[in-house]
Amino acid sequence: MRVASPSVRASIAVLLAVLVSGLVAGCASGQTADGGTDAPAANEGRPAASTRVTFVPEQVTLPGGDSADVHSASTVDGELVVPEDVDHLGWWDGSASVGEAFGSTVIAGHVDSATGGVGYFARLLSIRKGERVTVRADEHRLTYRVVSVRSVSQDALATTSAAFDQKGEHRLVLITCTGTFRPGRGYDKNLVVIGEPLGLAR
Amino acid sequence: MDVIADRRVTLVLLCIGALALAGVAVSPGHAADTAEVYVVQGLPGKTLDVSIDGESVESGVATAKVVGPFDVEPGSRTVTFADGGDTVLERTVKVTAGSSKDVVIHLPASESAKPTVTEFENDLSSPPKGKATLAVAHTAAVPPADIRVDGKVLFENVANGESLTLVVPAGTYTVDIVPTGKDGPAVLGPLELTVKAGGLDRVFAVGDPAKKTMNVAVHTIATGSSGSDRPDRVDTGSGGQAAGYVGPVGAGLFD
Repeated sequence: MRVASPSVRASIAVLLAVLVSGLVAGCASGQTADGGTDAPAANEGRPAASTRVTFVPEQVTLPGGDSADVHSASTVDGELVVPEDVDHLGWWDGSASVGEAFGSTVIAGHVDSATGGVGYFARLLSIRKGERVTVRADEHRLTYRVVSVRSVSQDALATTSAAFDQKGEHRLVLITCTGTFRPGRGYDKNLVVIGEPLGLAR
Repeated sequence: MDVIADRRVTLVLLCIGALALAGVAVSPGHAADTAEVYVVQGLPGKTLDVSIDGESVESGVATAKVVGPFDVEPGSRTVTFADGGDTVLERTVKVTAGSSKDVVIHLPASESAKPTVTEFENDLSSPPKGKATLAVAHTAAVPPADIRVDGKVLFENVANGESLTLVVPAGTYTVDIVPTGKDGPAVLGPLELTVKAGGLDRVFAVGDPAKKTMNVAVHTIATGSSGSDRPDRVDTGSGGQAAGYVGPVGAGLFD
């Protein structure tokens, strides 16, 4: 380690402290200096009343009333990495917020795992068209009506299902696994449940 | 030796304390220390000179032009609009460190009233990849209006001095403005608007349809993008315990 004597280091520290307090003073005086006029204040622009409520999902409630927490989930090496806890869900962080005008809000979760057993999203295996799914965060909520329940080959999920579409009208897309279970390789299909919003988020 | 060590510690702590107090003043880069202000010229038929705190920042700003950003100190700043040496309007704007504002001179809703100045805060949060934040403001001499995007009302019943923000996919949109609740006649447009990913696009409707001076002022501030790429794969089952559910329930379920 190098080398300044304690007294030199102390001096440097003092010098720094003095310099910094000078900066503080300088900054403070800059902040208090006004533009020097008593002109009236500009009007403050307001958000219009029809401004959409949008939010990052924190909780999903499926038909039957059970809920699960939702966390942000990222794509790593092409795979959406959802929470390991089978009772939690993952919101793809590149997808739409709930209540947007455009794009899918994509939420995925485990149907099961070797260590966690049957997951919350196993409930999707029995969801039906016309049923309702509610997504919440804090005091906000939006309910969707299920319009489509489909299984697609895992290989084709990204290319044929439009599950990740961000340009079309706003949708809720819930994804889990289904089909044939192959030990060590998982399931061969994805279950894709699509919901249309019932009105606007609030 | 112990005494010296103690003193050193005290001094270092003092220094850290001072640094913490200084906060903004010693942070790297000046962007967080100052505020940025854009000025939007929304008065039809005029070419204006703009000053901030008495200092000229831009001369000869034509209608629907946006100038800036101008870095200003936090606090109360005075923005002056002048036409050939005569002050048209002078207004103060309060800004905080790191903030970004648009200061707009424009006509009020009613033709008989005088021009006014409205400030709008710029939301610089990053939209997800492939998307942009679109903010449309009503600063024209028209009653409340609907703003339609690709023929669909996305901004409903917007009054003078109000704005609306949406996150949209990057692309080109057809935008027109119609009286609230009506299909036409269009107050403005239809016009093509192209928005690029990773930015805030601010659009100001300005002018007076009765005098055929409706126009738009547009500017874009880069925000960067958030979120991760589109997945290719979702692998959400490794146990097989749910496999038993699939057969009986799945029969006739999938359309």
